[in-house]
Parts: sequence; C-alpha cells; structure tokens
Amino acid sequence: MNVSSDSPRGNRNWGVLITIPVCVFMIVLFAALFFSASESPSKPAPLDPAWYTPETARGKELKNKVMVGNCYLCHAYWVGTPNPDVVRPRFAHAAIKLDHGANDRCYNCHLIQDRNKYAADDGSGIMAVNVEKLCARCHGLIYNDWKAGTHGVRRGRWDPRGPFERVAFKCTQCHDPHSPKFRFKDFAPPPVWPAKFIRRPAYAAGP
Amino acid sequence: MAKDPKLHAPLSRRDFITGLTVTLAAAGAGAAAMTPLLRAREVPSLDAFLQQHYKRLTAEDKKAIFARLEASIEKTYGVKATIGDPPPMDGVEFAYALNIGRCIGCRRCVYACMAENNQSRDPQIQYIRVLQMKKEGRGIDIESSVHDYPQEEAGDPNYYYMPVQCQQCKNPPCVKVCPVKATWQEPDGIVVIDYNWCIGCRYCEAACPYHARRFNFAKPGIAAEDINPDMAYLSNRPRYMGVMEKCTFCLQRTRKGRYPACAEVCPTGARKFGNLRDPNSEIRRIIEQERVYVLKEHLGTIPKFYYIFAK
Repeated sequence: MNVSSDSPRGNRNWGVLITIPVCVFMIVLFAALFFSASESPSKPAPLDPAWYTPETARGKELKNKVMVGNCYLCHAYWVGTPNPDVVRPRFAHAAIKLDHGANDRCYNCHLIQDRNKYAADDGSGIMAVNVEKLCARCHGLIYNDWKAGTHGVRRGRWDPRGPFERVAFKCTQCHDPHSPKFRFKDFAPPPVWPAKFIRRPAYAAGP
Repeated sequence: MAKDPKLHAPLSRRDFITGLTVTLAAAGAGAAAMTPLLRAREVPSLDAFLQQHYKRLTAEDKKAIFARLEASIEKTYGVKATIGDPPPMDGVEFAYALNIGRCIGCRRCVYACMAENNQSRDPQIQYIRVLQMKKEGRGIDIESSVHDYPQEEAGDPNYYYMPVQCQQCKNPPCVKVCPVKATWQEPDGIVVIDYNWCIGCRYCEAACPYHARRFNFAKPGIAAEDINPDMAYLSNRPRYMGVMEKCTFCLQRTRKGRYPACAEVCPTGARKFGNLRDPNSEIRRIIEQERVYVLKEHLGTIPKFYYIFAK
C-alpha cells in the first residue's frame, strides 16, 4: 500500500524505518543473553551427616559410661575395703572429677563391698545394667517420667507392637554420672539466608 | 464514487521492501525475545497436565502416577525411589510436645528434617525454625527472638530455644484460604498438600500465623546422593518450582508407626510425639499433667504442637 510510506516529509517514513534497527538491536541483545547465560545449575553440597545423625546428649563423650573389664580385676584382691569417707582416690581413678552437686561421696553410689555393683537403699547391690534404680533413689520423680516416656530420648516406634520395638535409653547413656550436666556441643549451622531479608527488631535479644 | 487513485495505486517496490524488512525484523525480535523457552526443561507431559486432584484419583490412577513420578525421579537424580501412599491410621490423631526447658538449640531436628524430606538445599528450605530468646526479662517473647543465631551460641543456659514448625492446627487457616483446595486436613490431623494441584499463589503462606509454609521460588536443588528414596506422594517426594511445601509430621514414617525424623534425632529428648487418642501415650500424659503452652492461642487455630517447660 502506498499509505504506509505517504508522509509530508517525502516518500520515506522514518517512523517505520526506525523499527528496523530497533528490532535488529533486540535480536542481537537476546541472542547474546541466550548464549552467555550459564546453563549449569550449581550442584548443592550434601548435608554433613554429623548434623542429623541421632546421638544422645552424651554425644561422643562416653568416658565413664562403661568401665573396661570387671572391677574385680583390682578390687577383689589387690585393693582392700577403703575408708568410706574418701572423696578423691589417691592412686587410681584420679581422672574422675565428681561434679554431681550435693552428691560428693563416691560410696553414695558405688557399693563399697562389691565394686561391680551400685549401692541400693538397703545396702544391697544394683547391677550395672539396672542403673536407673540407682538414679531413682534421689531422682524419683524423673524416674517416673522416664518410665512413662516423657523424660529422655525415645526412638523406634510410637506404637510398639512388640517388646523390642521401642528404644529407650538408660540414664547413663545420656548423663555422665560423675558430671551429669550436659556438655553437648555438636551444633549445626543456622539457615542460609541473604542478610537483607532478615528483619531484626530494635530490641532483639542476642547479638 | 470515482475511482480513487490512492486506494488502487500499485505497491511501489520501496514500500514493499520496507514493509517486508520491518515485518521480518519484528518477527525476528519477537522470536529472540522468546528464546528463554528453549531452556525450559519442565514441559509437562499430557498425563501430568491432565492429572486430577489427589482426592479424585482412583487406585489405578495412583499407580500410574506414582510410576511416572518414580521414572522422572530416576531420570533426574538417578535414584530408584518408591513413592508410597500410606493411608491415615484409624483412631489416631497426631500431636507433638516440645520441652523447651530441654531444647539446647542444636538444630539437629532441622537438618534431620531436610535429610528425610528431600528439601531443597539451594535455595535452602527448612521446615523447622529454632527461635532463641533470652530467659531474663521478657521470657517467652517471640517478637524479640532470633532465628538465625550462629551455631556457637546454641546450648547457652541463659536462653530458651524454641523450634517452630507446622503446628497441624485443628482449625487451619491455610486450608481455608486455598483457592483451589490443594491443601486439606487428613483424618489423622496432618495438613497435606497435593504438589501437582498447587498453583503457587502463596495465600496459605500469608494465612499461616506461624510461617510454617515454604514456597519453592526456584527449582529445588538437591544432590543425588542426598535423596531419601522412601517417599510418599503427599509428603517427601521432590517438589517443583512454584509449589508450596511444609512439615507433614513425616507421614511416610508416622503412618507406619515410626517417629518423625525430628523426634528421633533430638539428643536431649525434648521432642515427644504420639497419638492423642491413646490414653497411655506419652503425649497424652504430657498434656494432662504438664503446663502446656501453644503459640498464638488467641487466633483460634488450635495447634497440635504443645510447648512445655522442664521441671
């Protein structure tokens, strides 16, 4: 049609012709963007298994969890019955620091006649596998909670159908008996967010 | 009308070439502008496009859909996954109790959840947020809490650590606002999402008072060796860009009787999970005997996540 190129300025319609270089520019621009954009997505690193491996609060620090061997190795013949008021052994077990609050006598818990056992209220022995009976002497309320399942770690099934399907932990598997305060330090990192998206109020607690 | 010479004048060569060049240039520019489509990797197949809402699927539909999803997971990640669909158990209503006197803020629950539920690492999506608040002074004050405290500051006895995840409310606001009913509450209390039905409008994210729902702003980035192959359709199969996701109380585990990943990994035993309808469960005992606290009680969402304090 003649209409498109009819203009008072002559027989060239610059308004239309200007679209040609504009479109050429657009073609060049998008082609450059298309070929220069990096295609490969960054492969994210796998999570460190230390961050999600189930552990108890005692973590890897299992010193004094289980005494190596039988206590009779020394305490049957080599060592006699000591003074019951001793608080720090002089020749052996010196590395044990008893930090159990008001409980500061070794023989409050350890049976003085038979070191393989713990001391019950009536002076009889508690075997090492039943350590919760020992702890229940003073921590009876926590012991009731632990039996009900509301204290301590429970794993396995929440509806156990058989006797071995619920996993409960004994006291010393989480609490070091000589120093029961948790020193669990195996923490995992905070969320990874760009700082500009995190709002903090003026009176935020913490750093 | 007289023959108007202008209307019937022949097209001049100059005009024809001008018009042709302009048309070609415009078409070329349009095509160049559409080049990002060439990079589209996720053109859905016809089956995926016509897939119905989960509640309308028959058993055969589900089998075909799960097979197709497993094939696409194998193609993308090289992992042989099994997508299951455990039904809700009868007479079960799940609830969670968290003892913030015992929580030390170690964040193992956060990463156990990420590992179990195939969440995107890049950009990072975490269902659980652990809030740190000072014990002195304000006490339980969510407004002044910090959720991105560095890991060296965990385990501080002067602070409370309070993990927050989806509360699986009995009266969920997120379910009410979904315009397509892509999210609903199952009979065992878990609020679930059909990822193939979600349109990504994020109304539920706005409606949730606990910021429990996460949106996939980009295609989820997970390393192939990190994929957990035991999946369920409604919970931990890999999601897509543009859909919502959230904590589902690990229904791929809890509907089979196991604890959720966060409860299993907690080293201090701060997390307790169970069936609210069972009078002998630990969760029932906690709620009946302990002093429990729920978040934002005044909103009437009736959350199933109860916070308690150690004695």
